[in-house]
Order: sequence, then C-alpha cells, then structure tokens
Amino acid sequence: MARILSPTVLLGIAPIVLIVALWQGLVSFGFAPAVLLPPPGFVFSRLLQQLVTWTFQQEIVATLIRLFAGFAIAVVLGVSIGVAAAASPAINAVVRPIVRVLAPLPKVALYPALLLLLGFGHGSKITLVTADALFPILLSTYYGASTVEQKLIWSAMAAGTRRTEILFKVVLPAAMPAILTGCRIGLVISCIVVFLAEMITSTDGLGHALVTAARTFQAVDMFVPLITISLLGLILNALLGALRSYLLRGFPEA
Amino acid sequence: MMSPAALTRRAAPVLACIGLLAVWQIASLVLKNDSFPTAMEAIRAIPDILGDKESLINILASLRRMALGFAVAVLISIPLGLLMGRSRSVAAFFNPLLMVVYPVPKAALMPIIMLWLGVGDITKTLVIFLGVSLPVIYHSFEGAKAVEEKMLWSGAAMGLSPAQRLVRIVLPAALPEILTGCRTGLVLALITMITSEMIARQSGAGNILFNALDMGQYDTVFAMIIIVGAMGICFDAIFERVRARLVRWSEPQFDMPLSFS
Amino acid sequence: MTAVPARSSEWVRPVTLPEPASAIIEIDRVSQVFQTSARKDHVALSDISLTIEEGAFVSILGPSGCGKSTLLYIVGGFVSPTSGAAKMKGQVITGPGPDRGPVFQEFALFPWKTVLGNVMYGPRQQGVRAAEAEAQSRALIEMVGLKGYENFYPKELSGGMKQRVALARTLAYHPEVLLMDEPFGALDAHTRTRLQNDLLNIWERDRKTVLFVTHSVDEAVFLSDKVVMMSKSPGRIRAVIDIDLPRPRRRTELLLDPRYQKHVVDIERMFDESDEAGPSL
Ligand SMILES: Nc1ncnc2c1ncn2[C@@H]1O[C@H](COP(=O)(O)OP(=O)(O)OP(=O)(O)O)[C@@H](O)[C@H]1O
Ligand SMILES: [Mg+2]
Repeated sequence: MARILSPTVLLGIAPIVLIVALWQGLVSFGFAPAVLLPPPGFVFSRLLQQLVTWTFQQEIVATLIRLFAGFAIAVVLGVSIGVAAAASPAINAVVRPIVRVLAPLPKVALYPALLLLLGFGHGSKITLVTADALFPILLSTYYGASTVEQKLIWSAMAAGTRRTEILFKVVLPAAMPAILTGCRIGLVISCIVVFLAEMITSTDGLGHALVTAARTFQAVDMFVPLITISLLGLILNALLGALRSYLLRGFPEA
Repeated sequence: MMSPAALTRRAAPVLACIGLLAVWQIASLVLKNDSFPTAMEAIRAIPDILGDKESLINILASLRRMALGFAVAVLISIPLGLLMGRSRSVAAFFNPLLMVVYPVPKAALMPIIMLWLGVGDITKTLVIFLGVSLPVIYHSFEGAKAVEEKMLWSGAAMGLSPAQRLVRIVLPAALPEILTGCRTGLVLALITMITSEMIARQSGAGNILFNALDMGQYDTVFAMIIIVGAMGICFDAIFERVRARLVRWSEPQFDMPLSFS
Repeated sequence: MTAVPARSSEWVRPVTLPEPASAIIEIDRVSQVFQTSARKDHVALSDISLTIEEGAFVSILGPSGCGKSTLLYIVGGFVSPTSGAAKMKGQVITGPGPDRGPVFQEFALFPWKTVLGNVMYGPRQQGVRAAEAEAQSRALIEMVGLKGYENFYPKELSGGMKQRVALARTLAYHPEVLLMDEPFGALDAHTRTRLQNDLLNIWERDRKTVLFVTHSVDEAVFLSDKVVMMSKSPGRIRAVIDIDLPRPRRRTELLLDPRYQKHVVDIERMFDESDEAGPSL
C-alpha cells in the first residue's frame, strides 16, 4: 500500500484530479451549462452504464477487430520488410527511397481513395490502420536489425548456424527491443487511426458512437467513447508492456 | 560536384515517386474501375484545383491554421519537455496525464470543442495545437533527460544559474532530439489539419477531398490526395534541411518522422 | 637456449618455419587492404605467413592497430583476405565453421538466452539432442566454475563470469582451434590471473590448438608455446619466439624463474626498440 501511494504517484494523480475538480467546478458554479459540459460524475456513471449494454459492447468489439487486424498486419509487414531491408543491400536500395517518400505522407489523406477502392466496410479502415502503424514498426525494426552486434552473428556462425538461420536465430531476437518499441508506437497510432476512420465514415464502432452523439448534441455520449478509447489505449499499452518485459527479460535496461 | 553515389542517393526518392505513380497508373488501367482514375488523370486535375480561387483560398486558410497551431505548440512544448526532463517532480506531475491523453485521437475532440467554441478557426487551430504538442513534449523530455550530468556540473561550476543552464546547456544538447520531435509534430500538424477538416466538413483541404468524394468527382479526390501528399513530403524535406543545418555537429540521424493521424 | 637472437638485425629474418607434419593452420602470404573513408588504401596486413601446429598454444603480440584482430578474423573465416589464403588442415578457409571457435573480448553472449541457453546453442546447432546437449553444457558450466548460475541471464553476471560463459559456449561445440581475441582484456588484474590459470588447466587437459591475441607480454609468455610478434603499418610478423618453459606452469613459480623473466625482458626490449625507430612506413 505504501508503495502504491508513493509521492511520485500522488504527484502524478494530482493534475488528473485537478482537471476533474475544475470540470466539476465549472458545472457546479454555473460557468458552463450542463448541456455543453456534463458534470464528471454524470459522465462516468453513464460510462459504467454503457459498458454493460450489448450495443455499446458491440461498438467496442467492432473497433477492436479493426484495430487488431490493422495492427497485426502492420507488425507482420513492418518486421519482415524491416529485417529484409537490413539483411539485403538490394532490398534496402529499393525499400529505402520508397519509405522516405511514404513515411511523411499523411496517410489519412489516402482514406477517401481507400473508401473508393475497398468500400465502406472493414477493409478500408483496416488498411488505413495498417498504413499508419506500418512505418514506425518498419523503421524501428530496420534500425534494430541493422545495428545487431557483428560479433553476435559471428559467434552464431562459428557455432554452425547457416546464413538463413541467422536471421531468425540472431537478428530477430537481437532486434527485439527495437521492434517492441516500434510496436508500442504503432499500437497507440492504431488506436487513434481506427477511431478517426470510424468518425469520418462508419456505421459502427466507437468513433461512430461519438459522431452519432455529436449529431444529436448529446454531450454526455460524446465523452463516453472518448474515455473508452483512452482506457483501451492504456490497457493495450499495459499488456504490451507486460509482454515486453517478459520477452526482454534477458536484455539490460528493458 | 556530386559523386555518382551521392547523385543516386539524391535521385532515389524521385525515382521512388515516379515508380509509385507508375504502379498506380498500371493498377488503375488493369482494374478499370470508374471510381479509380489513372495517375495521369489525377495529375491533370491538379491545375484545376490550384487554379480555382475558392479552393486555393481554402487550402491557404488550412495552411495558416496549421502554421499557427504548430508554432504555438512548439513554443509551449519545448520548455515544458525540457523542464520535465530535468526535474523529477515536474515529470512525475505531467507524465500520467500525458499517458492518459496519448491514445486519445486529438482530432476526435473536434465535435466536443465545436460545441463550446463553434466551427471556426479557433477550434481547428486548437486541435492542431493539441496534436503537435505531445510528440514535441515527449522528445524534448527524452532529450533533456539524456543530457549528461557532468556537463551541467561544469556549467554550475562556471557559475550558471539553473535557468541559464537550461537555456545554455540543456537546450543545445537536447536539440537533435527536440528537432526529431518537431519533425514528427510537423507531419502531425498536417494530418490533424486534414482530419479536423474531414470531421468538421466546413472548409479547408480535407473538406474539398470529401466534397469531391460525395459529388463523385474522383479525379479531384485523387488530385487532392497528391497535393496533400506532396505537402507532407515537401514539409518534411524542408524541415530535414533545416535540421541538418542546425545540428551539424550531431551524429547523422537515421530515423524518419513517425507520422500518424 | 633462447629463440631471440642477440643482435636485432637477425630478428627481422623472414619467417620460414620448417613445415611440421602436424600443421593445423597455415597462413600463406595473406595481405589485407582496407578502403578507408579518405579513399586511400590502408594496408592492415602485409604478406603474412605463419604455420600453427596442432595442439600448440600460440600468442600474437603487437602494438594496437597492427592487425592482430584482422588476422584472427581471417583464420575464423569472418573476413576474407585481399590476397593470399589461410588454410585449415590443408583446406582453404572460406567461411566460419565449428572447427574454429572464437572467443571475443566483448563476450558477445546472446542476451536473450540464459547461461545454459548460451552454452547449449552450439551443440543444438550441431544436431545434438536436447537432453544430451543440456547434460554436456551443465558439465561445461561446472568446469568453468559457474555451477548454480545456469539460469542466470548474461546481464546478471560480472565481466569475468561472462567471459567464462563465452569460453564454455565455444568449448561446447568442440572446435579444434580456439581463436581468442584479447579475451581477458576487459577484466581486472585479479580476475584475469584466475582466468589465465583456468584456461591453462583446460588447455593442458585437452590440448586444443589455441590462437591467442593479447596486448600483455606477461600473459603471452605465461600461456604460450610460441609468441608471434607483429609490427605496425603495414602489419608484418617481426619475430616468432619459442617459449621453452616447462609445463604445467604455475604462475607463482614462473615469476621467479629467470628464463621467464628473460623472455619478458627480451620481448619488451624489442617493443622499445620499435618505438624508438618510430612508425615504419
Ligand atoms: N573494417 C575495417 N575497415 C577499415 N579499416 C579497418 C577495418 N578493420 C580494421 N581496420 C584497420 O586495420 C588495422 C588493423 O586493425 P585490427 O583491429 O586488426 O588491429 P589490432 O591489432 O587488433 O588492434 P587492437 O590491439 O587495438 O585491437 C587498423 O589500422 C584498423 O584501422
Ligand atoms: Mg584487436
């Protein structure tokens, strides 16, 4: 108990408490009408109430499916292209300039094109999530894989590891810290992008719930999906953090 | 004089652009989909958009908001990040809040802020400001945290006050990392700008995109995508030039901006 | 009987050792030229020829940058020479192989594997079944004095312990030749002495061929049958000195032995002389 309530934690909770207090104050003292800024207690009880309803759970599931599908594809593509570019100068020569052009491109601008090509369903949203989460994962992987200590590779080769095996037995595990850092950034991005895509055009999902509430000026219901996506982000980040400390248990400063 | 190797390196991104456009051209010819114009058709539609006075005003207004949001965000975030990096208590104070805010899509705050402040420039600029702030704070924080303690000791020994140390030692030492944050922030500013306009649907580049989509002007949709994409690439390239100049002393950096919506 | 002639002019004789029947490694007129960033060719090794007999403990000694590591990497097959060839049992070396096991100064342990995992890596890679590889590896870990640390990760070990693991990992796949590049260079004097003794014990037991790069004259004389002295820019072999001290060697006894002292002093004099001569270009 003493550890949980350390000064650092208290200090960290302070601004969040302050904001909630300010929020409550604004409403209580009549600076903001409750229609525009519902009191925090009301918002949180609404959140709890919503979380147990079937319809809201379905929105969450729809969002999560897109998020995971897009993120998973981004991880697979990002890691394999990143490792390939680090391993082969020929692939590097092709991938590097393409990445240089595509990485700073605002992916969300592609969304209309994706809608035209893939329709308004899951496909376009998943593709957008992948497009956005891909580059941090790819760049991180490439960086990690191209800075693997030469002598680790030599040690493995001397022990009789073939060149193709080196990729899986040395380069990939050695690049794991960098890969997971990229995944962490990619995951947050996935949360953000899936929500935005659902806001711009969708028939379900958390982003859609926000837009529906906005159309009918239901301020409370606008806060609920936002808080939900923030909580989802925190939970997923914590899960990834746990996976990270398990996978990197041998690495210093992990 | 450039060596052949340097020349190839310079030309490679241009070749990549041409290659990507070629892939698009071929894909559209093969697919023969009405809603998927060829690259050539899209490129031909660009002068129409840029020649149209209303569109041009719209785009310039978007850029003005973006510049303002970016500038204010950078001015506030860098000092905050540096302070967080040098003081444990400041970091402990802000870190959890930033962690909670991080996964919230800033552009998704549009509808709520619109309720309070209307659909005008202030709302959109505010959203851009929020979007840019986080990466800049984060990178300034990391940069300041990594500054070697011994450098600060020698500064203190030379009689610099804490504030002077922050400006004269921490800021320059963290500059490479800060600029990485700004580079990400710049791309983010563009993205938030487009997204906020897609959500508010009132004016700006994002609005042109979706209006064209609704009206079935597919050439315009794709031409706008090229324009926005070119903006992203140009801003990034220009910023990279500036960055390389400012921190010539630092190790050449590999990382490219981590752009996301 | 000393291998170092009294007059310095005789030291620079070309190294043409009589070809012994049991040569395991032959380095045949090997040169290594690196392209530097200034686009000038940098000759790291120039025309090196050396024969190493099976079961011998050979040290390479020389100033920093004279190409000791490069020579070792060529024998390991990690680097291919610009000209000439290195041969292992008459076969030209074209790549790394489990017959030549490296031990690096930086340990180069796999951080994602435990001590046991690191040591088992080689045997598993050779196709030894898991249970058998584990039993062998546990025995080796015990031999290098790390019993009880099997499930530790490298980051949890001290420098000396890491170097023991690195040695065990290499011994585990039974290389015929050990290639050691300043393996004790990063360790403190005390740990270094202990590891030298341990290495000698292991070597005296199974008499593997060892090619050992070091900066330390003491270490070279204490451990070796033969010390190869190199000079710098370009890297050349300057002399090969036979160390005719009896084995098994005890450090405390050797330190008082005049023959040991003479070897050390002779070699250090040669270093001094080359320093006075300045860099030979
Ligand atoms: N990959 C490389 N590219 C260019 N030059 C190199 C490379 N590797 C080594 N050299 C050069 O070759 C020379 C010999 O290097 P090497 O590492 O073999 O020396 P060394 O004798 O092991 O030195 P030390 O005792 O400091 O380890 C040095 O001058 C070095 O600068
Ligand atoms: Mg060396």
